[in-house]
Amino acid sequence: MIPRLGGVPGFRDLLPQEAEVLREAQESVLAEMRRWGYRQVITPMVESIDVLELGIEAGQRRRLFKFMDNRGEVIALVGERTVPVARLVAGKLRGAPLPMRLCYSGPVLSTDEGRFQQRRETYQVGAELVGAPGTVADAEVIALAARCLEASGVRRYQVDVGHAEFFHGIMDAVKLPDEVKAAVRGALAARDFVTLEALLEKTPLRSAEHELLLRFPALRGGAEILQAAGGLVRNRRSERALGELAQVQELLVAHGLGEVVSLDLGAIRDFDYYTGITFEAYGPELGRPVAQGGRYDRLLARFGRPAPATGFVVQLDLVCEMLTQASRPPALPRIDAAVAWSGPGLKTALRLGSTLRMFGMRAVVDTQPRDPAQAKAWWQAVGAVNLIHCRNKSVAEWSARGRRTRQLPPEQVAGRLAGEFA
Amino acid sequence: MKAAGKVSIALPTGVLMPGALRLLAKAGLARLSAEQLGRQLMVDRPRIRVILVRPADVPAYVDHGAADLGIVGKDILWETPGAHYELADLRFGECRLVLAVPLTSGLDGPETWPPQMRVATKYPRTAGEWFEARGQSVEVVRLHGSVELAPQVGLVDGIVDLTASGRTLKENQLRITATLGVSTARLIANQASLKTRTDAVQAAVGRLREAASS
Repeated sequence: MIPRLGGVPGFRDLLPQEAEVLREAQESVLAEMRRWGYRQVITPMVESIDVLELGIEAGQRRRLFKFMDNRGEVIALVGERTVPVARLVAGKLRGAPLPMRLCYSGPVLSTDEGRFQQRRETYQVGAELVGAPGTVADAEVIALAARCLEASGVRRYQVDVGHAEFFHGIMDAVKLPDEVKAAVRGALAARDFVTLEALLEKTPLRSAEHELLLRFPALRGGAEILQAAGGLVRNRRSERALGELAQVQELLVAHGLGEVVSLDLGAIRDFDYYTGITFEAYGPELGRPVAQGGRYDRLLARFGRPAPATGFVVQLDLVCEMLTQASRPPALPRIDAAVAWSGPGLKTALRLGSTLRMFGMRAVVDTQPRDPAQAKAWWQAVGAVNLIHCRNKSVAEWSARGRRTRQLPPEQVAGRLAGEFA
Repeated sequence: MKAAGKVSIALPTGVLMPGALRLLAKAGLARLSAEQLGRQLMVDRPRIRVILVRPADVPAYVDHGAADLGIVGKDILWETPGAHYELADLRFGECRLVLAVPLTSGLDGPETWPPQMRVATKYPRTAGEWFEARGQSVEVVRLHGSVELAPQVGLVDGIVDLTASGRTLKENQLRITATLGVSTARLIANQASLKTRTDAVQAAVGRLREAASS
């Protein structure tokens, strides 16, 4: 039988170039989070289905990879990490004072093939700010998300800020029978405005809320959209949402992010989960959000430690896609030196390799002796910048691309390379 | 790289293509002949890029952001729901998705259905969900063409297929016993395009809506 060299469909191998880009992006995002005082936690790859059920809706639950452990308990591979973090905050961290700032990273899995490029395993970095109510906390996580994208190398992006309560207020105020309201929610969740229009047309009572629902995808803009919407809504919930959006926008200007922020009153998110400010970050050309998050004040109570919370995830797969599509995609870091040897030069080569690495260079020492011509071919295959061929204790032959070959004592070669490297 | 002010739209080959081209012209977005687009597959105009793809591929192009907008039959959207916004009913290309059985068959309403129904269709997802919603156990046989033939050779009890006039069904001695849904051409949009290039995309959407309703 020929082994399936492509791996399991939907699961991806990251080759050196891709792995390097992903790791770099992940590290820079986590580093930015740490600069904002977020502490990293690592939660397991698996979680009990009973725990996950407290935080995710039925559709998401169906798409989890599940199995049974030897005690008969149903375990799932995590599809996101906000719920595991909530379990930590209410459990092992219950003694820690709030507000608490936590961050995490890792792969998440789903049986859903409709995700980015049919990937069933994707990589996320996330941050949660637990125990802080109010718009200052909302603005903090949005600003952090934006700075994380910048730290990863993303240059062009925008952040759309919305509010779950704006929608809830409209649904309260709109005069419709309950079953029609349910259908309206369903149509909006499916982003199906044809059905929505048909549902609303059948109802005799036309109101400003009708108009707002129908114009949902177009309720996007700057501060002026708040005024326009404020003139149309006549309910407390929506009005309070508009007030909070205005505050968050001002705070984001103070964070230095006024240029990238827009308001989107028609943002369609999981309205049962989010309870306040929500946001999504988009890059050009990418068809889906590269980071998303918002306020979820009800989740922690389900774990027995009621607390307001807000947070977000950065989709690393999409960040990497944006970086590699950029006009100057990140290059695989070069290998600085290929150290070859022959005869008694092996020990010199090993010593030289250690010295170069101590200076912070990337150095590969050959595993077999080669004559100068063979060494050159090996150098090409390694793709290093410099070739150093050690023949004995006292002389090394140093070649660099576009330069003539020189004979020098090994310690001098190391010194000169270190000088160039610095 | 797409220019910021330019909108791309995916049109389907086949029965909806003439209507889609008429609509683009009426909306003042692009005047194209079916022959020209069929030959070039992608046509660039100052404000719009038109690409021609197979009907079932339109949602994929839009969902992945390769096209900002798409014109596609609702029948395709039933089968491949995705992350796009369905913005408008363009009111052309109307047809019905129906359950049809041979003239000689005793099957009619749900009370006459056998405990395990067998149907052939190009729409397995839609058909499966429809029967499931009615508590009916069903075996869906997925076919890619000439679905009308399947009941005549005893492969299935009935078919779920699209029909505009009902003529093909009649010619194959089939009669309609239920309508699963009515399909027309729809305008769909990529979720990010609506946000990252709001003005250009909304302007095109507005023109297409207006052209469709006048």
